[in-house]
Amino acid sequence: MLRMGSASTDKEKLIRNVKKEVKSIMEEAVTKKFVHEDSGCITSLCSSVEACVSHGLKRRALGLFKSSSTAALLHKVAKSCQPAATIVQLVAEVENCDPNKRSSSGSESASKLGVKPPLQKKNSVASMKYLWIRLALIEKQLAKIVDYIVMNSSKYYEKDALVSDPDYGSILSSLLVGPCALDFSKLRTSEYCWRDPPADELVQRHRISSGQFPTPASPPAHKRPGLHYKGSIGFSNSDDNMRSKDYVESLHQNSKSTLLYGKNNVLVFIKEGTQPLAGYLSLHQYGDALNLKWTPNQLMNGCSDANNTHDKKYVRKQTFRISVGISIYWEHALNVAVHETVYVHCHQGSESDWIVLVGQDGVQRPPIHFPRGGHLLAFLSCLENGLLPHGMLDPPLWSQRGKETVSEIWSKTAMLAISGKVFPKLKRKGSSRFHDQVVMEEQPPTPTIIEEEAPTTETDQTASDFVFRIVYPNFVRSAFPQDDVLEYPVWQSSPSTPKSAVPPITPRSTPLHSISTTSSTSSSRSLDQQPSIQEQGEPIQTVCLTMKKQIISRAFYGWLAHCRHLRTVRTHLLGLVHSEIVKSDVPEDASGGLTEEKWKQLQEAGNIDMKEIYRLVYFGGMAHPLRKKLWPIMLSGKIEGEDPDKLRREYEDRMSEWLAVEAIVRQRDREQMAMNLAKLSSEETISEPHPPTCILETHESNEVFEENEAPATPAKQNDVSNKGSSTKEKSKPPDITNENHNDAHHERDDSDVSSEASPVSSRGGVYSNELLETFGLNIHRIDKDVKRCDRNYWYFTESNLEKLRNVMCTYVWENIEMGYVQGMCDLAAPLLVILDDEALAYGCFRKLMERMSANFPSGGGAMDAHFANMRSLLQILDHDLFTLIRQNGDYTHFYFCYRWFLLDFKREFCYDDVFLVWETTWAARQLASSEYVLFLALALLTYYRDIILANSMDFTDIIKFFNEMAERHDGKLILQIARSLVLQLQTLIDNK
Amino acid sequence: MATRKKVLLKVIILGDSGVGKTSLMNQYVNKKFTNQYKATIGADFLTKEVMVDDRLVTMQIWDTAGQERFQSLGVAFYRGADCCVLVHDVTAPTSFKSLDSWRDEFLIQASPRDPDNFPFVLLGNKVDLENRAVPQKRAMQWAASKNNMPYFETSAKEGINVEQAFQTIAKNALAQETEVDIYNEFPDHITINPDSRNVRNDNCSC
Repeated sequence: MLRMGSASTDKEKLIRNVKKEVKSIMEEAVTKKFVHEDSGCITSLCSSVEACVSHGLKRRALGLFKSSSTAALLHKVAKSCQPAATIVQLVAEVENCDPNKRSSSGSESASKLGVKPPLQKKNSVASMKYLWIRLALIEKQLAKIVDYIVMNSSKYYEKDALVSDPDYGSILSSLLVGPCALDFSKLRTSEYCWRDPPADELVQRHRISSGQFPTPASPPAHKRPGLHYKGSIGFSNSDDNMRSKDYVESLHQNSKSTLLYGKNNVLVFIKEGTQPLAGYLSLHQYGDALNLKWTPNQLMNGCSDANNTHDKKYVRKQTFRISVGISIYWEHALNVAVHETVYVHCHQGSESDWIVLVGQDGVQRPPIHFPRGGHLLAFLSCLENGLLPHGMLDPPLWSQRGKETVSEIWSKTAMLAISGKVFPKLKRKGSSRFHDQVVMEEQPPTPTIIEEEAPTTETDQTASDFVFRIVYPNFVRSAFPQDDVLEYPVWQSSPSTPKSAVPPITPRSTPLHSISTTSSTSSSRSLDQQPSIQEQGEPIQTVCLTMKKQIISRAFYGWLAHCRHLRTVRTHLLGLVHSEIVKSDVPEDASGGLTEEKWKQLQEAGNIDMKEIYRLVYFGGMAHPLRKKLWPIMLSGKIEGEDPDKLRREYEDRMSEWLAVEAIVRQRDREQMAMNLAKLSSEETISEPHPPTCILETHESNEVFEENEAPATPAKQNDVSNKGSSTKEKSKPPDITNENHNDAHHERDDSDVSSEASPVSSRGGVYSNELLETFGLNIHRIDKDVKRCDRNYWYFTESNLEKLRNVMCTYVWENIEMGYVQGMCDLAAPLLVILDDEALAYGCFRKLMERMSANFPSGGGAMDAHFANMRSLLQILDHDLFTLIRQNGDYTHFYFCYRWFLLDFKREFCYDDVFLVWETTWAARQLASSEYVLFLALALLTYYRDIILANSMDFTDIIKFFNEMAERHDGKLILQIARSLVLQLQTLIDNK
Repeated sequence: MATRKKVLLKVIILGDSGVGKTSLMNQYVNKKFTNQYKATIGADFLTKEVMVDDRLVTMQIWDTAGQERFQSLGVAFYRGADCCVLVHDVTAPTSFKSLDSWRDEFLIQASPRDPDNFPFVLLGNKVDLENRAVPQKRAMQWAASKNNMPYFETSAKEGINVEQAFQTIAKNALAQETEVDIYNEFPDHITINPDSRNVRNDNCSC
């Protein structure tokens, strides 16, 4: 275990590591005011402690454990050290609770393997690593245990172990005193929630909650576009600890939502006749949407954190066990979108007040009971405030003065604090009601119909029951489903108001109305006017008839809208896919792709059908060995491909051209560099005697290095201008005359050129100065990017990078007006990897760029077209996602797709998948869609749609998510989804 | 509702390709340096929580593509920025020369309310390298001429001055943010004198 020789430096290193980690954990504690148990700081501290403690551990001393594991050491120590015994017990508990995780304190496996120091295994599961150290730290026992170990080091350690060292040993234990004084939080505070969780975590969470990874979003079924509407992501049957934690944390105030109201011990009668459950009721605002949530106490408590030390053990046990039996509560948890709720029935009883929410679909939610004493009212006023500015309660709550007109109240509520609200005084059936109506009608924004309070039991004098309706006057929410009116059986939605005698007409008309307020363009005028008819006492039959007409007309409008929608789809998106649908199983199954065998068969059959090749590749890619031969064919679209000899000659010609230019550029660079250095040093020497202000004046302009030869402008225009000036500069004062300067240049030029190995004369005659400058600039850029391009991929060795550079330079030399743009390297790299031949790669790259160059800035604006198409496609194929994207920001431009399109998804997938994705894209161009990349992009979005929706990600979230997920997507799966999306659109367009 | 809203500071890093924008960002946020970064395409950002004047703020640091050709993309990312960090490579004079155009471009695209007082910070990166070509004085003069913007000489590789620079960036961004804020909790605009403590080997008395 011990590496001899450098033992003391080893120890020093180890202890320095611990110091560093202690410092960073203490810093985190100070700046954040808390350290989360999952913090990376803890893990790294643990690992550094582990390294120290295992340094020079005697194997034999540990007896039956047969390893040098520090966990074994802990067991040993536990016999005589009380804190250690506690930790041993805790470790056992945790391990028993979690049978999936192998017991390990980190170094067991390593020590079995032999020599590896424990620090090298950083990649294993972080939370379970160094378990005992972690637990000891959190229990604040670590310093004591380490101290004990240090005191008794002779028993367990070699002589030259770190722990046995008189200095280091005590330093180690005293270092740990600080971290052991910290309180570690398990609960994610609002700060924690506020931090963007990494993409990993999101995917992980989703995997847990959906339980059906690896298809987070199963490829979309063939649903009718635009008309589907999915409910909120529910919590039905999962019983996962993590999720419940997340859920409870989501109930706190965080960046995504504002907590408007929260009350604990609110009772809900899940079923009639059963015991009520107590839980936490909260009202959240997400952007424009309000959500009412109620969570049983069992769930809340199960995941809450107890900061008291004596509770900790219990809590830890419980969180490990929480998965058992808790699932049933999830079924009871309520999550109600307020915009889907039409009525709030309020009842005031002798023991409690309760509300019943009735949705648009007429379904009643279980009654929610508040303790007596104003809680109900407080809740309602929070709700009312939350609904502003678009929605309101009808009738509104009255402020305590109670005498203002409703409109006054309404405008006031915006500013009013929660207090001071009372129920509207609508006591008697008769006159007051009419009075209220009058008031309401005066107020422009309220709808014409008024839902009267439903209370009015005959005996009741002061109303104890109310029905509030949630209305959105003059406000159309685009986020609401607009097309699915027919799915709501409106006539059934009459809410049965208990204990109340409501005239039969009113409840029927109101749901209709409420729908009309949420519906868009197609809502007809007559609908709004209809209620006034009944108010005048029209016979019920007429009303029914009108309603029937309304329903039919709504249906018609819905249908019409759908047809228009489809027409838009056809006109705008027709060009995106080919009309002919190519099947994967005709003439034979193509899902296996183009294998070597198939290729042989095709060749033997003689006349090779390109279309069949495309079909095979489209549905299954091609075998890797075939790529080298077939890629040029696929890119050129001709079976014979490009004439390789011609290509090679062409390539070599181009190369010799630019190599000559490069030689000149290099020469200029060297001189420039020398000049700069000279300038730098001369400036330093000059600046010493002069007062600094002097320099300030002379260098006022931003030109950095030209100032001093500013008089020598003609020299600058000379093609190889600055030659020689470097050496001159050193000796000559800056005010050298023009003449001298130029002469000097010419002399030097001649001599330089003759010594240059360049095949072309570097005097200005052959290449214009402008060209030289432009190409020089491009070469520098290429150098910078080639160096950085995929240097971690095995293929790109020094010599292969040189090849990549040659390909780039040749292409840029040929397309000097466009020049090098970042990203071109990425596009050329996979070609070179496959073809492993400069000339061929160049030929293919040229072909590839015919399509890709339009994506590059100033290349033709294809990017904007992509974004626009994405928008339309998403609107058609995934309306929910489209709505979210539109809702969460103004990013109608899909900038998170920028890199996808620019690099043809090259950075999104790992190399093997890039090959597959690329060849599929090329095949797709011929077979299915000329804009296949759009469907790939859409497939990526679709694949993660549930995560995006569940976290209601905005522009920045999505960018970050996909940047973090780069090279971690499953290429095959994404391609599968993309193909099905193409097919979906094809069917849609075809289905006239 | 919470009275003290959480503060999100949006910081944009600009500068020529290869000056070390991505490295600086990663050094600051993740305390890591690797030479494995590829040229940034599109944009990426990292977030970090920092304490500024006893206030916990979250910095959202945006790293952008360095080639000026991609500037047209800027407007989507620059909008709502609270501070702009200009980076040049002290070994590459051209990267220093383009600072002006980066600054102008930013002001045009982001169109901040008060362009004259919008906080910029200048970083001269790669001071760990031997072949330095942009004199410190020059950079300081330029920074001073642009409304006295703070100047730091950094090395993302060695982690030199990175923490200090970003602390200043956060401070200035917060000052900008709160100035915009109508409630104006932090009325003092914080200006950092570039020559007093920010530059390491200070041999200039201006």
